[in-house]
Amino acid sequence: MNVETNWDIAPAQAGQKSSMSDGYDFSALRVLVVDDSFHMRELVRTFLEGFGIKEVTVSSDAEEAYDLLTSMDPDLVITDWNMAPVSGLEFVESIRKGASVPNRFVPIIMLTGYTEMKRVEEARDAGINSFLAKPISAASLYKRLVTAVQDNRQYVESTGGYFGPDRRSPKRRDFHGKERRGSE
Amino acid sequence: MAETRFLKPQKHISQKVRRGGPSMEVAILAAVNAADDLIGQYQGWAVDDLEKLWQSFVDTSRTGRADPAKLKELYDMTHEARGQGGSFGFPLISVVGDSLCKYLDGRPRLKARDLDVVRVHIMAMKAIFRQGLKGHQGGLSKELHQLLGAFRAKVTDQEAG
Repeated sequence: MNVETNWDIAPAQAGQKSSMSDGYDFSALRVLVVDDSFHMRELVRTFLEGFGIKEVTVSSDAEEAYDLLTSMDPDLVITDWNMAPVSGLEFVESIRKGASVPNRFVPIIMLTGYTEMKRVEEARDAGINSFLAKPISAASLYKRLVTAVQDNRQYVESTGGYFGPDRRSPKRRDFHGKERRGSE
Repeated sequence: MAETRFLKPQKHISQKVRRGGPSMEVAILAAVNAADDLIGQYQGWAVDDLEKLWQSFVDTSRTGRADPAKLKELYDMTHEARGQGGSFGFPLISVVGDSLCKYLDGRPRLKARDLDVVRVHIMAMKAIFRQGLKGHQGGLSKELHQLLGAFRAKVTDQEAG
């Protein structure tokens, strides 16, 4: 698996090309960026503003970010993994399982230097939508943004405890009936 | 057996995104230009961070070779350097940081030989900054990656032997 290219790039929405040659107007988006590194979060904020996004809110820790979620209701969350005292992974879980979060379906991009398969799967199982490996570039961030816009996956709520984007391969997503899995 | 329910989000990010914006190339160029100053300042603060990494290494080698907290601190600082280097135009820092993370990952203690390995990696990062080696420097990035991989493998083989 190549984590740089995302494990699960969703098909383009109906009527849209999957090619990224067409320009998007992202100016109306509200994005929340959470990273305990001042320099990294400023870099991400600057890239996003460079893409034309007018409302980018940054936070240095997950607890503050959780409060911001309720007040700003972002369209996209970009969070680092390696933070203390609440890690990015715990933050994602709190969004997906939180009763007080305005939008449990909000797309989440996990930004991290951890690229081992075990880590990628852990982040996926917490409910993230995509994974962006550090070091980042304006191009890699732009691609993730477009992926978030084009990602029309359903969300899954399992009695096994998972809530998040459908993790099945695109072929298996056509099945919409009652599903039972031994692993959950 | 778990039961699964499929849900369609009421709100979707695409509802607030329209066509007609700048092309991908233009948007990326605008972002790179916007970040120019920030990227230009990187070497200044990263050298300070590298000094902190060196201090962490010195402390660990003196008193914390088997101290999980000190080893974690050393790993975390290296992990930060790995993520930041390439993001701010110094991919060679990420190559060296990645190699050191791989070496440190899962080690419960640092023996004398391990300290040498850590020292070599940090000295390499210092040299990259001293020489101002931005970008991939032609094929150097790949070559460095291979050399450090061979170096780690050799040390690990010697350990096993």
